[in-house]
Amino acid sequence: MKIVACIKYSLTLSELKVDPATRELRLATTPQRVGTIDRNVLEAAVVLKPEGSTVHGLTLAPAGAREAFREAIAMGLDDLTIVDSTNWAAGGPMATAAVLAAAIQKMGDVDLVVCGEASDDGVTYQVPPRLAERLGWPLLAYARNIALAGATLTADRDLDIGMQSVACDLPLVLTVTQETNTPRRPTLMDAVKAKKKPVVVWQPEADLGLSAEALQAAGGVTRIAQEGIVIARKEQLFQGDDMKALANQLLDALLAEHVVAE
Amino acid sequence: MAKLLVYSEEAGVARELLAKARQVAGTQGFTEVGVVALGAAAAATAAIWGEWGADVVYTVAEPALDVYNPETYTAALAGVIEQVQPVVVLVGATKRGLEVNGRVAERLGAGAVSWCDDFSYDAASQSVTAKCLVYTGIGNNTYRINVLPALAAVPPGVFHEQAFAGHSAAVIAVPVAIPAARMRVLANSVKADTGRRLQDAPVIVDVGQGMRNREDLAMAEELAGLLNGQVACSRPISSERDWFPEWLGLSGLKLSPDLCITLGVSGSIQHTIGIRESKLIVAVNSDENAGIFAQADYGIHADLYQFVPALIEAIKTRSVTKK
Ligand SMILES: Cc1cc2nc3c(=O)[nH]c(=O)nc-3n(C[C@H](O)[C@H](O)[C@H](O)COP(=O)(O)OP(=O)(O)OC[C@H]3O[C@@H](n4cnc5c(N)ncnc54)[C@H](O)[C@@H]3O)c2cc1C
Ligand SMILES: Nc1ncnc2c1ncn2[C@@H]1O[C@H](COP(=O)(O)O)[C@@H](O)[C@H]1O
Repeated sequence: MKIVACIKYSLTLSELKVDPATRELRLATTPQRVGTIDRNVLEAAVVLKPEGSTVHGLTLAPAGAREAFREAIAMGLDDLTIVDSTNWAAGGPMATAAVLAAAIQKMGDVDLVVCGEASDDGVTYQVPPRLAERLGWPLLAYARNIALAGATLTADRDLDIGMQSVACDLPLVLTVTQETNTPRRPTLMDAVKAKKKPVVVWQPEADLGLSAEALQAAGGVTRIAQEGIVIARKEQLFQGDDMKALANQLLDALLAEHVVAE
Repeated sequence: MAKLLVYSEEAGVARELLAKARQVAGTQGFTEVGVVALGAAAAATAAIWGEWGADVVYTVAEPALDVYNPETYTAALAGVIEQVQPVVVLVGATKRGLEVNGRVAERLGAGAVSWCDDFSYDAASQSVTAKCLVYTGIGNNTYRINVLPALAAVPPGVFHEQAFAGHSAAVIAVPVAIPAARMRVLANSVKADTGRRLQDAPVIVDVGQGMRNREDLAMAEELAGLLNGQVACSRPISSERDWFPEWLGLSGLKLSPDLCITLGVSGSIQHTIGIRESKLIVAVNSDENAGIFAQADYGIHADLYQFVPALIEAIKTRSVTKK
């Protein structure tokens, strides 16, 4: 069996700052890494892997970022394919799904694709459903308690309103959430072994026969403006060991704000 | 003929989207506001949508749609869109709405955006602009969508439902063939609805994972009770611990009370997006560096287990009430 884990080199959103004056998002200085949800993706893929199977990482990312994938590989990938986005002028979930689908088809004989419900920074929730649609496979989204018996996968889908238990035959696209599992920490040994795992780089145009221009036009979505949201709060911090004093300090502040009355 | 279509499998979210659609219909030149009702039961009660602002209710009464399955719902919504030919489709950005939205967009070759909180249609250029939350709410992007229909996934709680008394809707059955789903639904367990209306509470006590045990909720309930408020929570408190069916945040409710007191909430943006419209935010957290303090008016750096009882005591001693 062949499993593909789709992982993303993502912005670290906790470090993303907004310029308070211009409201510009300081994207260029925000560090990037393999996302936190991607660790759940890798964990799910590695745990599901039956005897004699292989797990392949797949990402659309700048080839120059390959070192950032070391730990992901160490979590249990047999290899990693980077579709190089360095000179790739198409953005958005539609184009991303097209690239991933083409790569999966080129890999051949894939039985299961594992994605995150949403990427750390894109958070569009669009890539997995679009990918499933492109591949013509079912999408089993938001999966927890995942089990594989032969060619049938069962899971509980964590929907907003409750759980939906489902069964589905392979091939399929699976998405996991941050609640699905607890990602493993690779050992030093894993890290050493990871250095020897192959990293393949494909170009979307030359290797997958895709045209950025055509995909961008077909996607039909163009960004025309961007603005950071600035939160202005008083940010007054009360501290000390005397809880009674702290409580009264807070009540005085709330009374002064006229939200409560005495 | 510029039609606007609304879809959500959650009736409450569909009402919110319809209210917005109705409000902008005249100014943006929409000739029709439609809503999609899937399944036999929904089709039988379709006419009720008139009062919530719909001109037309498009029904697909196939029995295969009586239980939610993303495959059958994708086929139904895609089929309705193909036949109705709207220029804008507003889809409720619940988890179910999002999985259907992406598939429908890909199937129809439609432009799609997620986390939309405003939009406009320009008849002259045949394009839609949509303002969307990006980076989980740190910023806003405005997009132009020129491959129509434009599918815009709108989070719950962004718009507010409104009754349009006397408005009535035509009901049109749309013939859509629903292929058998490959993913089989074995069981559905639905969380009990408490019927609470957190939206109306003037004070919210917002509980996060810093609260360790369900019994400790009594403390939060007492504090809320003294201030005429309600207790709400972060997503893990709902999804992991199942203390409440609903949560606050990007994928949950968005509230704007006079006062929000967070207890043991770290301040992740996905959560605070649900409380950032509060007039005043108080945060109690034992970690001096917790991100929530930068998003609060008054931060209390303390163990909630020590501070909350003291606060309750002080409120009682000073007879403090909600204004
Ligand atoms: C795509 C996506 C969507 C999401 N949508 C939502 C959403 O809609 N809503 C949502 O809530 N989350 C959402 N999340 C999850 C979110 O990212 C956070 O994981 C979650 O909100 C954290 O919840 P928390 O603050 O309760 O818990 P934690 O982050 O675990 O924080 C607990 C806090 O309690 C403090 N604490 C511990 N003990 C004490 C004590 N004794 N006294 C005082 N303080 C104490 C700690 O210092 C810590 O800051 C989403 C995540 C993703 C990836
Ligand atoms: N550039 C990418 N490379 C590989 N996988 C991706 C990429 N973008 C999105 N994905 C996959 O799609 C999921 C959802 O992403 P998104 O649609 O951006 O919320 C992610 O968790 C990944 O599994």
